[in-house]
Amino acid sequence: MSSAVPLAWKNLTHDRRKLAIAIGGVVFAVMLMFQQRGFNDALFDSTVEIAKEFDADLIIVNPLRFSLSSEIRFPRSVLDLAASHHGVMSAKPLFIENIAARLRRDGTRAYPIRVIAFDLESPVFIDGRGEITSQLASLREPNSAIMDRLSMKNYKFNLTRDAKFPQRGELSQRPLDIVGTFQLGRDFAHDGNLIMSKENFSNYFPYRGSDPLSIVDLGMVKLNTNEKAPDVCRELQAIVGDKVAILTKQQFIYKEVRFWSKSTPVGVIFFIGTLMGFVVGVIICYQILANDISEHMSEFATLKAMGYKNQYFFRLVICQAMYLAILGFVPGFILSWMLFLINSNRTGLLMELTPPRVALILVATLCMCILSGLLAVRKLLAADPASLF
Amino acid sequence: MNSDEINLESLIDAWELSSEELSINVDHVNHFYGTGDTKKQVLFDNCLRIQRGEIVIMTGPSGSGKTTLLTLVGTLRSVQEGSLQVLGKELNGISAKDTTELRKKTGFIFQAHNLFESLTAFQNVRMATELTGIPMHVAGPRIEAALTRLGLGHRMQYKPKLLSGGQKQRVAVARGMIHEPQLILADEPTAALDAESGREVVTIFQELAREKNCTILIVTHDNRILDVADRIVSMVDGQICSNVLVRRNALMCLAIKEFAIFSSLTPQSISHVAEKVTLKNYPAGAEIIRQGEIGHEFFLIGRGDVEVEVDGKIVNTLTKGAFFGEISLVKRQPRTATVRAKTNVVCFLLSKDEFQSVMDSSKSFEEELRNAIFSRR
Repeated sequence: MSSAVPLAWKNLTHDRRKLAIAIGGVVFAVMLMFQQRGFNDALFDSTVEIAKEFDADLIIVNPLRFSLSSEIRFPRSVLDLAASHHGVMSAKPLFIENIAARLRRDGTRAYPIRVIAFDLESPVFIDGRGEITSQLASLREPNSAIMDRLSMKNYKFNLTRDAKFPQRGELSQRPLDIVGTFQLGRDFAHDGNLIMSKENFSNYFPYRGSDPLSIVDLGMVKLNTNEKAPDVCRELQAIVGDKVAILTKQQFIYKEVRFWSKSTPVGVIFFIGTLMGFVVGVIICYQILANDISEHMSEFATLKAMGYKNQYFFRLVICQAMYLAILGFVPGFILSWMLFLINSNRTGLLMELTPPRVALILVATLCMCILSGLLAVRKLLAADPASLF
Repeated sequence: MNSDEINLESLIDAWELSSEELSINVDHVNHFYGTGDTKKQVLFDNCLRIQRGEIVIMTGPSGSGKTTLLTLVGTLRSVQEGSLQVLGKELNGISAKDTTELRKKTGFIFQAHNLFESLTAFQNVRMATELTGIPMHVAGPRIEAALTRLGLGHRMQYKPKLLSGGQKQRVAVARGMIHEPQLILADEPTAALDAESGREVVTIFQELAREKNCTILIVTHDNRILDVADRIVSMVDGQICSNVLVRRNALMCLAIKEFAIFSSLTPQSISHVAEKVTLKNYPAGAEIIRQGEIGHEFFLIGRGDVEVEVDGKIVNTLTKGAFFGEISLVKRQPRTATVRAKTNVVCFLLSKDEFQSVMDSSKSFEEELRNAIFSRR
């Protein structure tokens, strides 16, 4: 027993009922913050999931294309120009249609869907599961496409493990056969995904131009080994001029996330939600700490009379706040994690708890409790020992 | 030594051991509550001088200001007017840092125990030792001993919830004195205790006062503990209406009665003399009074021998119980002889005015004195 009397810990844990309520309050605030951050991150993560799947070192895009969902394109000839650089191994096109693509099963309503197309001879996805590669042969058939299993159920296709293919439907008033499935994921702007060959694509979306495939949505550039992506990026940019933008894959992803967080209300809304969780946490925590102080004013006044300094009381309250933060964070984290699993199943959004994200909420929780501690300590400093007599 | 002489000797011994050092010096202190229209004076020109090692009991009706004075001495309220020195430190205008230092040398015992519910009795007392930097290997045994002595040996690890009111108060008492403070301020420390526990508490107070020279200020109405007081101060309506060194006075009365010249005095007169008389020490060879000087004091020899010299010739030797110096005071003439200490001498002195007032108040004293003067010739 060589250390000091653990007054902070003892005071906090002495009354079990009060402790439970206190922890409950912090858990609530922690969960609020996790959920808000979780949805925020899920939306961004989902949106760039497709970009993460690109098998490319650099991405060519029209600088006016503010996000993946917009339909601003660039001429295919740019790809040939890019391919002429000695460091470039290949520059492949990716075609995307959103608004014009409406899919339905016979007899039901048509819904917008994202259609992605590329040259089957040179696919552009990493395809870790190998599903796209294994179905390239079926995609060569006319009027065929594979569908994202995680698409909304509204399209009324059966995409379960034991589903039978092909399934006949209609895309933009033309018949379409769904010949298989793959996995990508929904996001804010797209309720589903289809992959088809570029030949089929040009038949479904002829209005893109005289040659629908002469304008390209994104260019996928692969570099030779040992080439440094940032260096080639700069060099290519010099070659192609300012009509198109050359970005590294990371930059492209970053730019997409930044659009959603800065230029749409999404980021702000969830930030406010997180802030509210924080504020609620501060208020609850403050109430608990201040209440504890009020109930023990005489005891604290006695300590003051004995000669304990304000410094001691500061440390006491901050200590209590930090204990509360940890005690509330652990169950809050576990419950949030469970909630994430449930939610991501229901919404089809990608809800991930990465270590940096967990650390962020942990820091926020600590700050929340310390802030409430600082507010509560003023009460304690006002304890007047003269009133004890 | 017969029993009469024991009182005189013990008084002189106690006097020789005591220090003149003041632990509390209240000097014309006034105190007010409230401001502006609601300003009310609660202490009126309080003056009080308390020496180290004294046990002082303060009594008075509620609202008399005794608690206010206690809180001022304890640095819990700021001194507004006047000078208040505690343990050598001036409290009027004291800095926060010095206040904290002084508080660590003080022990408080409140009427309410104010123990932390979440800590055991042991831990509550430890809050005091921790603050004053007493290491655990010293504090631990000391706390155990103190709590055991107060009858809480088997309850040390219990939290207040499982202790009775009296037991909680005893823990508070332990907490107030465990760090061996130089000053203990107690407000009704024995009110919640039974006779045995209360007696144990004041016995501890006595030990602290005697052995560690701790000054103890107790505000109380408990008659059972009045006997431990060295001094009783009573206050009414913010003023100190009486301030009596009861123990010293009691001993002094007994000592004075041993002097033949005072033996026939009324108790009232004896008490009167006891309050006024002072002691003084003269080393061997020192001159106490000189022939031809104006005389201001009356002397009684408490210990030692003196030589009486007239015109250069030693005419007499006086010893314990004898008196001298009265002729100048009675006959209003310069000293008729030189008196020198032969050995180490302790004398009881009465100033001229006090001597006169005793003379005036007691016929028998005057008669005795005149007889003595007459027979001396």
